[in-house]
Amino acid sequence: MSAPAEHFESAERQHQAAELGMWVFLATELMFFGPLFLGYAYGRWSFSEGFAAASRHTDVVIGTINTAVLLTSSLFVALGARAVKLDRGAAARVLLLCAAGLGAVFLVLKGLEYHDEWREHLVPWLDFRFARPHQHAAAMFYFLYFGMTGLHAVHLTIGIAVMVVFAVRLGSGPVARLENQIDMGALYWHFVDGIWVFLYPILYLVERHG
Amino acid sequence: MKVSSIQLLVAVWVGLLVLLALTTGSAYVPLGIGNTLINLAIATFKVALIAVAFMHLNRSDAVVRLAAGAAILFLSFLAFLSFGDFLTRPREPAPWTVPQEGAAGGGPYEPSGEAVR
Amino acid sequence: MNALPAEQSLPGKVLHEESYLREGFTLRSWLLTRDHKRIALLYMISITGFFFLGGAAASIIRLELLTPAGDVVDAETYNKLFTAHGVIMVWFFLIPSIPATLGNFLIPLMIGAREVAFPRLNLASWYIYTLGGIFVVITLIAGGVDTGWTFYTPFSTLFSNSNVVLAVMGVFIVGFSSILTGLNFIVTVHRLRAPGMTWFRLPLFVWANYATSLILVLATPVLAMTLSLVAFERLTHIGIFDPALGGDPLLFQHLFWFYSHPAVYIMVLPAMGVASEIIPCFARKQVFGYRMMAYAILGIAIIGFLVWGHHMFVSGQSMYASIAFSLLSFLVAIPSAIKVFNWTATLYKGSISVSGPMLYALGFVGLFTIGGLTGLFLAATALDVHLTDTYFVVAHFHYIMVGGTVMAYLGGLHFWWPKIVGRLYPENLARIAAVTIFIGFNLTFFPQYLLGAWGMPRRYHEYAPQFQLLNEFSSTGAAILGIGYLLPLGYLTWAMLRGARAPSNPWGATGLEWETPSPPPKENFAVIPRVVRGPYDYHPSGASAPSGASAEPQA
Repeated sequence: MSAPAEHFESAERQHQAAELGMWVFLATELMFFGPLFLGYAYGRWSFSEGFAAASRHTDVVIGTINTAVLLTSSLFVALGARAVKLDRGAAARVLLLCAAGLGAVFLVLKGLEYHDEWREHLVPWLDFRFARPHQHAAAMFYFLYFGMTGLHAVHLTIGIAVMVVFAVRLGSGPVARLENQIDMGALYWHFVDGIWVFLYPILYLVERHG
Repeated sequence: MKVSSIQLLVAVWVGLLVLLALTTGSAYVPLGIGNTLINLAIATFKVALIAVAFMHLNRSDAVVRLAAGAAILFLSFLAFLSFGDFLTRPREPAPWTVPQEGAAGGGPYEPSGEAVR
Repeated sequence: MNALPAEQSLPGKVLHEESYLREGFTLRSWLLTRDHKRIALLYMISITGFFFLGGAAASIIRLELLTPAGDVVDAETYNKLFTAHGVIMVWFFLIPSIPATLGNFLIPLMIGAREVAFPRLNLASWYIYTLGGIFVVITLIAGGVDTGWTFYTPFSTLFSNSNVVLAVMGVFIVGFSSILTGLNFIVTVHRLRAPGMTWFRLPLFVWANYATSLILVLATPVLAMTLSLVAFERLTHIGIFDPALGGDPLLFQHLFWFYSHPAVYIMVLPAMGVASEIIPCFARKQVFGYRMMAYAILGIAIIGFLVWGHHMFVSGQSMYASIAFSLLSFLVAIPSAIKVFNWTATLYKGSISVSGPMLYALGFVGLFTIGGLTGLFLAATALDVHLTDTYFVVAHFHYIMVGGTVMAYLGGLHFWWPKIVGRLYPENLARIAAVTIFIGFNLTFFPQYLLGAWGMPRRYHEYAPQFQLLNEFSSTGAAILGIGYLLPLGYLTWAMLRGARAPSNPWGATGLEWETPSPPPKENFAVIPRVVRGPYDYHPSGASAPSGASAEPQA
């Protein structure tokens, strides 16, 4: 590990500080998503049939594929962070770029999904139409759907950019100097994946059998 | 320095995909409230796997694990006490409220469009 | 002091002997600083500006309320004034006040560190605060917002004709400033304590700011999302908060108060920390029940997350939820009461000197007690039905936030001013100002308890004529209070420029911050201390042992 910043007495201390800092930040992110989950729970309880009807119109094929894509990207990030610890810069570059690539695949698929939903008049405020009697509940469902997946996509985009930057920086200079940062970036990536793990069933799998 | 083996990471990934298949598949079986419970349980387990195997939460010291748990705990305060209100309140729509599910409703939803100002 | 082994001083680095104030005089050296002490001063300047801006709004309010008729401003303008007062005072003054100024300055010093964990994040938090402030100023220039600082739906989302979206964006932005400050403090206290500085040797000021930071990081993001939902709802009318479309205004209230109740503990816990530093020093006595004080701080922070529904007793919330929240609110009073008892017990048989800081601290304890007790009145559901939305509530929270937090903030400013600027302020003026503020404060706000109990509603620009006499007292008090606040602005600034040079420890206080020069050098300590004793090692005879820092190499 490279020399610590001035105010840390050792590199180990700095790593511990970075780790705690990132987890505290992730806790704040979870609290930030929290109200959306609460709003969803309220809507689901309040309009159980309306939410189910709305959920059946989501594209479960893309949603499932996207979930698998993200889970795989997490694997690549975990492998990449591991490679950094083992000082294998070239391997780490490839792995992190693959993860970023999978993230991009997710975003492309999501974009296609959003486009289809717009064409099917499922975007609230943009000529939204839904069969009675569930039109209000569906509007709320899709408000939450676009809100939560949109916020998730913003976070994912930041994650992709961060991974690309890491991959570029791994190309020059000692690998060890990036270990802390890449560890923290990995934590962020896994968190974003974890959010999606919950978004998927609550948005795509409500009464699918109906 | 402790690093996880490639086998472990890949095994966890396979496990996550299996759980994905399970959650998706079970959604097509009518199980009433069971579907929701299964999905949430599987999601929780997947996140736990990610947290331990990928985020190394088991290797972190206590305060880090506390940070991870704190947000979940306090969100659950928000959820429990808010739902404590929602569930124990009678729901009596006002005359001008759009009728609840099942009844003949108003026209197709149209956002009011006009801004308030 | 003997030098410590190399790993405890910065190897090969020239330590600055000069004060942090002399490390560069350019604007750039201030605006791009990573020194927590300079960032503290940047915050201090900003929040002082906002304090007087919020105070200006209050002045117009009190002017209007001098007479029963609504003759100074019209109703809508009045609404905009109390909204501006609330938004500015809560988010741009009270919440950052002690943590971002005194906390930023003192926490690394108190724990024996050279810096906070993430210095650049610290600077970023000030810039984010400033950006939020710009949004709020723009909102004011654009005509203000009239929803009250609480932004209740459906008025804010459906009916208000004012700049709601601009205002919530400003608050959203400043929230991230708070979150970063809290994150920084948590990591700093966990990871940067000097050798021997165990948790139970930490000054209570550090405990208080640590607990505050827990609240900052857990509660503020919920506010950010809630205000985003208000903005979206206002723009798109989906109906999440609109009962006509199946939504629920109480969903907003639950989300809003889930943050805003813990927010009041963000505002009061650091003040309690300040009091716990001042009182032992000027009573020359160990704090009574140090451990209980620390546990009480944590207890307030945690239980404070469970009581928000007491703001919603008359909102239509379920009776059962109200009962639960009422009971929990009674519970949260217990750790606060423990602290008041312990401060009192600290004074008992102490060797008390009535200095400026001590006057503020004593004022804090008394006024916080009154404010806290009246909070219990409001926590009783049946009483709250009559008192809610009256001036009783206004008096209650001003006793805590102004009588409590502002007094503690001023006390802390005075106590640590010699450390911060390296010069002594005129003590007699400080005493006069403290007494003026105390008198002005009580004259302003005590009548409001009576007004509220007799039924005068809050947030109205006119009132029934029988309330006029008490309102006249209140407005007169406000004028006195304003003068009181201007005094320290004057003499503390004067002291900064012309005061007598201060020694390291003008008060004979314990704490690592007093063992470094006044003002401290950029790296805080020439040599990182090793702590061997607990805090508050005072002796009533007047002598104080140093906080236990010694230069012995680690065993």
